[in-house]
Amino acid sequence: MKVDSNNFISLAEIAIDNPNLQEAITKGTNNAFDKRQLAMFADGRAHGEAMRQQAAEAKRRALRQLPELLEKAENMMTENGFIVKWAVDGNEANQMVLDIIREHGVQTVTKSKSMLTEEIGLNPVLEASDVRVVETDLGEYIIQLNNEPPSHIIAPVLHRTKAEIRDIFVRELNMTPTDDAGEMVAFARDKLRSDFVNSDMGISGGNFIIAETGSLALVMNEGNGRMCMSLPKVHVALVGIEKVIESLDDYATLTQVLPRSGTGQNMTVYTNIINGPSRPDEDGGPEIVYIILVDNGRSDIYATDYAEALACIRCGACQNACPVYRSTGGHAYGWVYGGPIGAVITPLLVGLDEASPLPYASSLCGSCKQVCPVDIDLPRMLLDLRHDLVEKGNGGRVWQLGMNAWAFGNVSPMRFELGGRVARLGQKVVGNNLPGVLGKWTKYRDFPDFAPKSFRQMWREREKGSDHNG
Amino acid sequence: MGSREQILGKLRAARKPFEDVPPITERKHMVKLADLSPETLRARFIDEAEKLSCYVCEAKSDQEALDYILAVLEDRKQVMSWDAKHIPIEGYQDALDKNEILVSGYNDPMVYVGVTGVDAALAATGSLVLCAGAGKHRATSLLPDIHIAVVKSDQLLPDLEAWIAQEKQTGTPAFKITSNTTIVSGPSKTADIGQELIKGAHGPRQVHIILL
Amino acid sequence: MGLLERESPKGKRASLFVTCIVDMVYPGTGMSVVDILEHVGVKVDFPMEQTCCGQPAFNSGYQGDSKTVAKHFLKAFKNAEVIVTPSGSCCAMVRHEYPTLFADDPEWAAEAQRVASITWEFTEFIVDGLGITDLGLELPARQEFAFHDACHGMRLLGLGDASRTLVGNVKNADVVDLKDSDVCCGFGGLFSVKMADVSNAMLTKKMACINDSEAKTIITGDVSCMTQMNGGLSRHESSKRVRHVADVLAEGLKLAKKEVGDS
Repeated sequence: MKVDSNNFISLAEIAIDNPNLQEAITKGTNNAFDKRQLAMFADGRAHGEAMRQQAAEAKRRALRQLPELLEKAENMMTENGFIVKWAVDGNEANQMVLDIIREHGVQTVTKSKSMLTEEIGLNPVLEASDVRVVETDLGEYIIQLNNEPPSHIIAPVLHRTKAEIRDIFVRELNMTPTDDAGEMVAFARDKLRSDFVNSDMGISGGNFIIAETGSLALVMNEGNGRMCMSLPKVHVALVGIEKVIESLDDYATLTQVLPRSGTGQNMTVYTNIINGPSRPDEDGGPEIVYIILVDNGRSDIYATDYAEALACIRCGACQNACPVYRSTGGHAYGWVYGGPIGAVITPLLVGLDEASPLPYASSLCGSCKQVCPVDIDLPRMLLDLRHDLVEKGNGGRVWQLGMNAWAFGNVSPMRFELGGRVARLGQKVVGNNLPGVLGKWTKYRDFPDFAPKSFRQMWREREKGSDHNG
Repeated sequence: MGSREQILGKLRAARKPFEDVPPITERKHMVKLADLSPETLRARFIDEAEKLSCYVCEAKSDQEALDYILAVLEDRKQVMSWDAKHIPIEGYQDALDKNEILVSGYNDPMVYVGVTGVDAALAATGSLVLCAGAGKHRATSLLPDIHIAVVKSDQLLPDLEAWIAQEKQTGTPAFKITSNTTIVSGPSKTADIGQELIKGAHGPRQVHIILL
Repeated sequence: MGLLERESPKGKRASLFVTCIVDMVYPGTGMSVVDILEHVGVKVDFPMEQTCCGQPAFNSGYQGDSKTVAKHFLKAFKNAEVIVTPSGSCCAMVRHEYPTLFADDPEWAAEAQRVASITWEFTEFIVDGLGITDLGLELPARQEFAFHDACHGMRLLGLGDASRTLVGNVKNADVVDLKDSDVCCGFGGLFSVKMADVSNAMLTKKMACINDSEAKTIITGDVSCMTQMNGGLSRHESSKRVRHVADVLAEGLKLAKKEVGDS
């Protein structure tokens, strides 16, 4: 997907002025956030916080030994019958999938939702090679019909109202118009049924790779993922290298904080554990299962102070809690990942130059860190990315000079006071029309008056007065 | 250099992150269960399953269980099913034969009802653990509109952590022997359309649990 | 990194860190803080060298310029035993960021840690530091208040209910609800101008909650948030306003009980 993150400000403005979008994301994020609060704290606030810490420790422990754990996972998975492959970047991964398709004569692919495949742009590559790719997650199905990217990590079509989805089905699939969501879901279910059964290959992502047993773990709700992974002869799973975890015990914690944080569910409807291709005595199931371990920039992040970003388990809680995301939706961030985690990993994956507004797309309120099931310090990383941008010179000469002047003024109380007096006088002149970038304040808000006497002036007078009395 | 070596090489060359993160000293279970007595677990399981919109039939006899299944089938003559030896109801196959109900192929998308047993059930979350195996087709709990799961009360465990502990005692078969373990918690659902929760996305619309 | 432990500030002289905005725009709030502190018997001084904590530059990524100003702060407060400030975000800058900012600076690391470990936000100083929950205050007439939880204070400093407790114990003060009181007002420092449209979208939501509340006055602990909210409320001609907790408390001093000690 083409990166458009440098246009965040104008994309955000468009999003804010779109009433349908506002209705949809308000409903979607409120719903998910409220449910998250209930689910994470069902056994009390202290317990919920303790489980977050347990999950945070599990991911960090896994990252600490990432290379060793990946090797172990590879060994165990190979023993289990998986074919394990490694892809340095998205291009290599996409090519691998194409090769597998050719090798097995695949004509139809059914796809279960995978943010990684969005990140590496798998679908356009497959479609260009004349393979029929069917997105089967309902949200992904809808956005595929409407030719747009996902806007939320776990709810791809969060940005569309029911009426808009109805119109998409009517336009693209000749559905008889209905405002009944149940009918719309039933319509999609019918449409996809034969695709599921006749598919030659299923593609999925993966939530966790359990190194201890060599298992691929996924969490899903609709059942389409199971269809993709169970019915076709070939299953290909693409998984980021950061998804490997150490043990079954860690798995138990992580697979339970994930749904609680993402949708407020205690367990997703289907919690799946895949241990390789179908065994000789089993009926059905894939004959061959590939795991493609994808790097695509993660090993670079691993070597920096931003390694913590790799702890993300892609639950979407930060998006639901973020007041910026809740106003702009995901598309404003210009790429696959939006919201707080998107503002951090987008510049890390595509380069700061391609996503320079994103670290500033935050008021640093800290809600994201508060809800993250693995306690990623997103605000700290946003601050560090801002620093990185300034160090690179992205801030621009004017801002740098302005900051230098500000610092100069603030290391001397005399200059500080002088600055205050100048501002007071200047305000009399400009009134409510602040100059330059500060004019963006007065576009929407009144600005208070500088006080006739500063605090330190009042303090001085008070001290003088008490000297007289004392 | 192959991709594998390239990736591992970069990771190994990096300074190890999180060296100072201390280990958790006491592993907590996600769900706090004060009382682990069979009666409490049973009640909790039923409560959680019903909160997920499962239909729970507490069958006091094999016959009651069979009657329930036949009632769900209405007058349909086809069913998807695990092999009878995996359905813990005595007389199950006989009942099917007597009513001329055919057990159809495991990949038939037109069959309306699927009957399975379970490998375990989890009280804390109303969940059913199903492992694929000989005569335990995975599509039985996936393709049909209605999934009926037969659970014996001695298969009931407190929670996911307890199930994993049990697995570890027997060589973790659900993570090694079988190719696929699915933990089912309720009927399939989606809230993608205007946040309205709709049951029966692509998996079963209804889950019926017969608790013996 | 967690926040550094603090010793009890009881009996110590409190140096007021008034903050640049309070100094220049809301000096009355600074005086309210002084009046309340003196009401509970705390000796207050005001290190005249102080200017700013450096947060605006830090939050924009200009850590170098921020450090320059932060060093000046450390110098200005070198004789302080305890520092009290009426701003959650400025307090968080000192408590949360200074230790890291100066971690690699052998000359200033120790002093940064010392200063971080003696800095208190105004309400937590009274409630947690001094152990006082009832200031013995009384408002001249009944008023209803609701609270906006400023983000840094709430999430970084864990201020909790200190503000509500103090106001709740003021005679004639009734505390009512504000919906989404813990949701950001959209200020975020330079975010408010850099990302003005988003900032305004957040402000608009906050104003809707304020206008829906039964309270005429919303109390908060950060004048920056207050400036954002009042800026919108006055532009949209709302009758509601946001006030700093120190000013509301100070209003109750005239009718206050004479003696207030530890509770």
